[in-house]
Amino acid sequence: MGKPKAFVDRKKCLSCGGCISVCPQDALSMEGMKAIVDEKKCISCAICIRTCPVGAISGEVYN
Amino acid sequence: MKYDCVIVGAGPAGSVTGRFAAESGAKVLIIERRQEIGVPVLCGEGISRKIDSWGMLEGKRWIASSMDGARIYSPDGTMVKLSAEMAGNETGYVIYRDIFDQELARQAAKAGAKIKMNTQAMGLIKEKDKIKGLKVKHFDEEYEIEADVVVGADGVESKIGKWAGIKTTLKPEDLETCAQYTLTNVECKDAYCDFYLGKQIAPGGYVWVFPKGKDVANVGIGILASLSESGMAKKLLDNFIANDPRLKQGEPLRFLAGAVPVSNPAETTVLDNLLLVGDAARHVDPITGGGLTHCLEGGKIAGETIGMAVKKQQFDQETLSAYETGWKDAFARKIKRNYMVKELLLDFEDKTLNMLADSLKDVKFEEISTMGLIKALVLKHPTLLMKLRPLMKISSEVKE
Repeated sequence: MGKPKAFVDRKKCLSCGGCISVCPQDALSMEGMKAIVDEKKCISCAICIRTCPVGAISGEVYN
Repeated sequence: MKYDCVIVGAGPAGSVTGRFAAESGAKVLIIERRQEIGVPVLCGEGISRKIDSWGMLEGKRWIASSMDGARIYSPDGTMVKLSAEMAGNETGYVIYRDIFDQELARQAAKAGAKIKMNTQAMGLIKEKDKIKGLKVKHFDEEYEIEADVVVGADGVESKIGKWAGIKTTLKPEDLETCAQYTLTNVECKDAYCDFYLGKQIAPGGYVWVFPKGKDVANVGIGILASLSESGMAKKLLDNFIANDPRLKQGEPLRFLAGAVPVSNPAETTVLDNLLLVGDAARHVDPITGGGLTHCLEGGKIAGETIGMAVKKQQFDQETLSAYETGWKDAFARKIKRNYMVKELLLDFEDKTLNMLADSLKDVKFEEISTMGLIKALVLKHPTLLMKLRPLMKISSEVKE
């Protein structure tokens, strides 16, 4: 099992784009007005998790 | 289909750029990934009344209410009042951002710009490193749009600059993460915008209450991302509302999240065949978080620059740099100065903010601006604000 990586709960995301603007790896983008993580780029820094104003991002282990 | 200019994003910066480019003869396409311009609203909806003199908006439908002034509350509740009476009525409006954005897009369309909805930028078309246009996606259909100039008006999370090699990633200490309710069933007893400061209230930011009508107000919070934890902005805002007698019986009409760059402006906003405008260019006041006036001012310069480039049929960085020179002359010094002030304010403890507010509580301000406040503070506390004194010199050259 790898380290937990950022995971966006699409039901909670309000598409503010904050997480995308601070991601040092450019691992986040907007798709269908929801943020989405490219888990291959994510380095588990958790900056996006702390930034999200509504708690829509958590750390998950991707399979 | 080839255009002179394709603009990514139909927010205020994109639409104003499109309007003035089209008015100066350019063939313009604006793409917007959403299905309605201005919706969802992602904004506190406050704007300075100095836009009146620019004449870019017709009618009054976009105005929710006119402000008589502002009150700033320090952590212990000490109030500093900035009133329009003293400032020659130069205050601001609370607006309907959806109608505001649609009005600006209408002006762009009237000038001849084309608008495509539900269309998302996917990448730049490059030939031997030269930007030739944009790859886009319209639902499941992917296609290419050729253009001599690509404009990134794609907001805080801008990808256009990154794709072209401009570093626009924000440090967490340069981003305000925000949440806001539009509440009804609240009593707005006067037309004042209220700002609440304090480490417990909003670390590295503030809570705002902007009256939108007699019983409706935008109540929001911005906190510095570097001081935030997951979901903290919403939690602190809920807490503030629950403890405020004026707001706690309020019911929500709208809830939104937001993100506001509070950094220096982007170092590079112009490359061969490419421009960045608005939030994508980090054209936001780092103290207030306000960016709309810069979108209008900068967008006009960008549009006119594109028109000039089309006439010359030259789209290299040097030709397009008229835009960069223009926006720097218009507001770069103000943003840079306010960035320094932001850094200094972040170091202040709550008790220092209380002391500063106490010393200003009886001052009659002649201008409603952050500069007016800073001037008064430097006069009262020359030692404490030693670091700000060199800024005063810059400020004498700054156009507010």
